[in-house]
Amino acid sequence: MRPFRTLIVDEREEIATITLHEPGGNGEIDLAALEDLETLMVWLEDESSCSLVVFCGTAGVFCPGLNPAAFGPGTTDSIHTHNRWEKALVALERLPKVTLAAIDGVCVGAGVQLALACDHRIATTSTSMQLPEVKHGYLPGMALFRLAKYVGLGVAKRLVLSGVPWSATDALGWGLVDWVCEPDLLASTLEQVAEQILPVNGDTVRLARRLLNESFAEPIEDVLGSLLAAQHRCISRMNVDRASEGA
Amino acid sequence: MMVFEAWQARMLSVGTAHPPKKYSQQDLLDLYQVTNKRIIALFRNTHIKSRYLYLPPCNSEGQVPDETNVELLAKHKQGALDLGVEAIDRALAPLGIRPSAIDYLVCVTSTGTLCPGLSALYIKHLGFRENTRRLDVVGMGCNAGLNALQNVADFCFAHPGRLALLVCAEICSGAYVFDMTMRTAVVNSLFGDGVAALVVGAGPELAQYEGPAILDFESHIIPDAIAAMRFDLEGPKFSFFLDRDIPYVLGNHVEKPVNRLLARAGLKRRDIQKWIIHSGGRKVIDTMKYNLGITNYDVRHTLRVLQDFGNLSSGSFLFSYQLLLEEGSTRSGEYGVMITMGPGSTIETCLIRF
Repeated sequence: MRPFRTLIVDEREEIATITLHEPGGNGEIDLAALEDLETLMVWLEDESSCSLVVFCGTAGVFCPGLNPAAFGPGTTDSIHTHNRWEKALVALERLPKVTLAAIDGVCVGAGVQLALACDHRIATTSTSMQLPEVKHGYLPGMALFRLAKYVGLGVAKRLVLSGVPWSATDALGWGLVDWVCEPDLLASTLEQVAEQILPVNGDTVRLARRLLNESFAEPIEDVLGSLLAAQHRCISRMNVDRASEGA
Repeated sequence: MMVFEAWQARMLSVGTAHPPKKYSQQDLLDLYQVTNKRIIALFRNTHIKSRYLYLPPCNSEGQVPDETNVELLAKHKQGALDLGVEAIDRALAPLGIRPSAIDYLVCVTSTGTLCPGLSALYIKHLGFRENTRRLDVVGMGCNAGLNALQNVADFCFAHPGRLALLVCAEICSGAYVFDMTMRTAVVNSLFGDGVAALVVGAGPELAQYEGPAILDFESHIIPDAIAAMRFDLEGPKFSFFLDRDIPYVLGNHVEKPVNRLLARAGLKRRDIQKWIIHSGGRKVIDTMKYNLGITNYDVRHTLRVLQDFGNLSSGSFLFSYQLLLEEGSTRSGEYGVMITMGPGSTIETCLIRF
C-alpha cells in the first residue's frame, strides 16, 4: 500500500473503502489531498483487485470543499490545480470498478463534485449537500456537466445558480442519490447495497458507464457506432469466457 | 529500444498536398448518378463531409465517364507526381533545405504499380541527388506508412546527421471501380486522394531542427483475417474489397501491440497524451476508441481528417500528425502513439516523444 497523508485506504476482498480524511482534519481538498487522490487512482487502476470503491468521510463531514489556498484566487497556478482535480475525477470515472459515495453530513462543493463522479450515492438523513461555488464567483467544475444529467436542467440551474443547500430526501427525489438511510444505519445499508452491486465485471462496467455518460451528450446516430464497438468487445470476451469454461 | 535522445530518429518536418477539386458526398452521388438507395445511405453515413479527388470531366449527359485501366494508372502517376512535388516542397521548406539534401527517399503507395517507381519519378522531377538511396513500398495498404517509417528510422539511426524523406502518395481515385455494387460503393464512399511527406533524421548534427523522437515500433498481424482487405482483379481493373467485420477484428486486436509497445517503455495508457490514428473509417475509429479506452478528444484529428479528406490510405496518419502540430498543443516530454491499420490484416504502432 502506498503511503497516503490524507486518506485512509482499507481494502477487504472485493471492497476498498476510502476514508477521505481523519477525524480532526477539516476535510478540504488541499494539494496534499489532491496528490493522494491522484496516487489513489493509479493504485486503484494498477494494483487494487477490488471491484467496489466506497468513499466516505468521518465525524459528520464527507467533504466541505476545495481548499481556497490551493484552488482559490491568488495562487498563480490554481487553474492547473483545477485541471489536476478534474483529471483525478475523470480517472475515477474511468475505473473498471463500481464507485460509490457514502455521504454522512457535510457535502459541499468538491464533496458534491466527487460524489457526482461516482457511479452511486448513499446519503444519510443528516446530510446536507450544496454547490455554493457560483455564489462565490467561480464554477463547480465538471459537476456542471454531471449534475444536470441526474437532476434535469431546471433543478440543476436552481441548485448551481442559487447555491442553496439541499437534503438527502430532496436528492433522492431528484435521482441524485440512490439510497437514503439514518446515520446509524449507514454501515448496514452499505452492506446491502454492496450485495446488490457485486459481483462486478469491471470491463463491462467501464464500457456501460462510458456509454451512459455519453447518452445525454450526443445524437443517437453519432453514437450507434460507439455502442456497436463496445458491444462487440463484450460479446468477444463472453465468447472467450464460454470457450474456456467449455474447455 | 530506448537510446540516448540525440541519437534517436526524429520527425523533423511534415508537408501534405491534395488535389485542387473538393467533392461532397452528395456531389459524388450526383456526378455518378447513383439511384440505389442503399448506396446513397452508405455515402451519407460515413462521417465524411468532403474529399479531394481527381475525377475526369463529365460527359454530355452530365455524368462522370467510366475510366479505363490505362487512364486510371495514368491518373495515379500524374496525381502522385503533382501532389508529391507540392507535399515534398512543403516538408522541406521549413527546414530551409532542397531535395539535394536528402540522402534516403522512401515512397509508399498502393494505388498503382509503376516501374520505375515513384522514387525514380520524384528524383527526375525534383532534382534529388543521383546517389540518393531509395526504396519503393508498393501494395502494403493503409498501414504502410508506419512500415516504411520503421525502415526510415533504422536508416537514420544507422546514419546520424543524414536526412531521410518518407513520401506516402495515394491517388485513391486512380483505383476506383464504379460499378454500382455495394462492394465498390463501400470503397468509393471512403477513400480520398492525398500525399504526405515527412523528413526524418537523427544525431546531434541535426539538433537545430525540432521534432518528436521516434522511440519504438510494435507490429501485429492477424493471419486469420488475411482476406479481409484486399485488391482483387475484376476484369482489367483492381477492385479493393473491405470486409464489413474488419473494424471489429482490428478493435479486438489493437490492445495487443499497444500493450507490448507501452510495456517495453514502462508506460501506461494514461501516460499517452497524443494519439495519431489512421482515419480508416468511422467504424474502425469507434472500435479503436472503445477498445483502447480513448476519447473523441483523443481521436479529434483522426476524425477531422476523415471528415475533410476521407481515408487517405498510408498518408492519413501524417495528415492527422500535421493537424496536431498546427493545433500547437504538444508539450516537450509528452508521449504519443501512432497507429495504422491495413491489409494482412495488420496493426502497426509507433511510440514517439515530443
